[in-house]
Amino acid sequence: MDMTKEDAAFLPHEDDVRDEGLPDNGISAESPHEDRMVLLVEDDTTIAEEITAELRVRGFRVRCEATGDAGLEAALLGEADVMVVDRLLPGTDGLSVIETMRQQGVRTPVLVLSALSAVDDRVSGLKAGGDDYLTKPFAMEELVARLEALLRRPDDVRATRLRTGPLEMDLIERRVWRDGREIELLPREFRLLEYLMRRPGQVLTRSMLLEDVWQYRFIPRTNLVDVHIGKLRRKIDAPGEEPLIQSIRGTGFQLRVPD
Amino acid sequence: MFLTELFRTAAFRITLMALAAMAGVMVMQFGLVYAQMEAVESRRSTELLEGEAELLAQMSPEHLEYVIRRRATGDLRLIINSAGLFDAGHALIAGDLHSWPHGLKADGKPHNIEIYPEEGAPYPLRLLAVSLPNGTILVLGRSFHLLAEQKLMLRHAMLVAAVPTFLFALFLGIVLSHRALSRVKEMHEAIDRIMAGDIHERLPAARERDDLERLAGSVNRMLDRLERLMDGMREVGNDIAHDLRTPLSRVRARLERALSAGLGPVELEAAMGRAVDDLDQCLGIITALLRIAELENSRRKAGFGQVALRDLVADVSDLYEPIAEMENKRLLVFKPLPPVQVFGDRHLLIELLANLVDNGIKFTPEGGSIMLGVAEQGGRAELSVTDTGAGIAPEERQAVLSRFYRSDKSRHVPGSGLGLSLVCAIAHLHEAEVHVESGPDGRGTCFRICFPLMRERPEGVAP
Repeated sequence: MDMTKEDAAFLPHEDDVRDEGLPDNGISAESPHEDRMVLLVEDDTTIAEEITAELRVRGFRVRCEATGDAGLEAALLGEADVMVVDRLLPGTDGLSVIETMRQQGVRTPVLVLSALSAVDDRVSGLKAGGDDYLTKPFAMEELVARLEALLRRPDDVRATRLRTGPLEMDLIERRVWRDGREIELLPREFRLLEYLMRRPGQVLTRSMLLEDVWQYRFIPRTNLVDVHIGKLRRKIDAPGEEPLIQSIRGTGFQLRVPD
Repeated sequence: MFLTELFRTAAFRITLMALAAMAGVMVMQFGLVYAQMEAVESRRSTELLEGEAELLAQMSPEHLEYVIRRRATGDLRLIINSAGLFDAGHALIAGDLHSWPHGLKADGKPHNIEIYPEEGAPYPLRLLAVSLPNGTILVLGRSFHLLAEQKLMLRHAMLVAAVPTFLFALFLGIVLSHRALSRVKEMHEAIDRIMAGDIHERLPAARERDDLERLAGSVNRMLDRLERLMDGMREVGNDIAHDLRTPLSRVRARLERALSAGLGPVELEAAMGRAVDDLDQCLGIITALLRIAELENSRRKAGFGQVALRDLVADVSDLYEPIAEMENKRLLVFKPLPPVQVFGDRHLLIELLANLVDNGIKFTPEGGSIMLGVAEQGGRAELSVTDTGAGIAPEERQAVLSRFYRSDKSRHVPGSGLGLSLVCAIAHLHEAEVHVESGPDGRGTCFRICFPLMRERPEGVAP
């Protein structure tokens, strides 16, 4: 990703910096974020520039702050729709920024970024009021997918019947149909499909699936999720039927929403 | 310079302390002998004075006067140093005491009184005065010069004995501490050489006959252990460098070729995608290393609780079953699973088991199987993962648990080579032992994780 100085330059409140040379991987077209604003609090300028450029390409507006105090000030304005906060910041650290803004009643969802991967750190990040936690280094797709997940939730979690396109799921009887044809699923497959159906059209990364469906982290193989998705696909797509679960290359999966 | 250093040695200080104690004992001894001697002499002179006075008192007055005047008896010449016969008015009748001693009472008891002669210095006498039937008073005196002479002799003896004794002890102390000093100096020099980088150097410990040598021996054993650890670390460092260099050089080659070959956008994108995959592999190795380090340094057991091993096995087999199936292998669970609980961190134990299962699937050929089991033996919970792969040679079994170890047979299998180290680190945190054995019929490999004895099973958590 060879970025010119001009592209990478940090310009707050400017949302039209687009890198035409970036390959279109199918996300930006389906994710209109014209009015979505991300507040990024990150002291590493290189990473901040990369994140800012990437998010702008995908249509977010980005405001970037390099210190905890400036970040907190910006957060208290309440303009941001979602925040990305680095854990370790000069001055006020990331966790106190989140704690303080939560005490002030700001409910903006926060993704905590950290170079620390310890389980304890993750727990303390979420305890302070963070909504998700991402360990450096991370793929940009991972960050974007998680930000989108934070922006979209929550759907009605109390619903007992889910419907997405031809799929229908009864959460009480634990049954699934496609166009009225019942599909037999193992409990693990049911859990996976339920997760997908609660987030139709959303890009879900492998680690999001592992963390949320299986509550696992640090699993040695990343293609585990692919295998599970593959099995689920073979059950819900009968021969000749349109595949419902799409792979997003280099990122993860998406349950297609009918047009 | 030497003296200050000498004084700072423990041996020399102990010598000085011993010397001081010796001096104290000697002074005390001398004092006691001195006092004893004085008491004996005093008693003796009293007895002599009283005995002589009694003897003289029995004589007739005329004879007594004669005896005193002439000092006619041997006793009067040798034992009694002064004698005098006084009338009732304390006027001298005969004898060598010129006047009545000041303060003397005629009570038949000895008194120590200072005598002032007509010429010469005054001197003390032990005097005894007895009134005789005819009204005269007999005074006998004995000087202290014998006692003084004995005291002088004793003081001389003491000095003659003490000075060489002290000097000898001091000399011995200096020699001993000098020896100790030179040994410590040798040790210092050895330590300096070690600090300068010669980690094979050891302290002189000989056969560890004394404290200093035993200490040196302990230090040497510590150095041995440190050296082994350093070797291990250096090896791990080399391995990390090697394992990172392979994917990194691939990335480099790929990017270089992409730059120079004038590729179209599609090929360029593909090359970059593969480069990112290789970089992810590097980052995966680094993440695993950091994670192992984190687990090894962790003393905290904040996330610990009761974990049912069979739930763990069910979860992991649920996650891995499709993988095994896809690769034409069978993931089996020995049933029934006993309801054994361990005290641990559920997430970490899942990670441990997932790594073992992953490993088992990787090293089992198609058509083989991986078996998960839970057992309880003598109150100890046990988790086992057995595969029907090629197995591990007995001499390699310990080595597979160390970082980056891959037997030559497994060189072609992708992976960080850190999975089993992670297993060990997690097991260690749970105070569990990792055993590597061959499978039930001598084929394949069986990893057994033996958890510590559960002291008591908490109620209400059991099945």
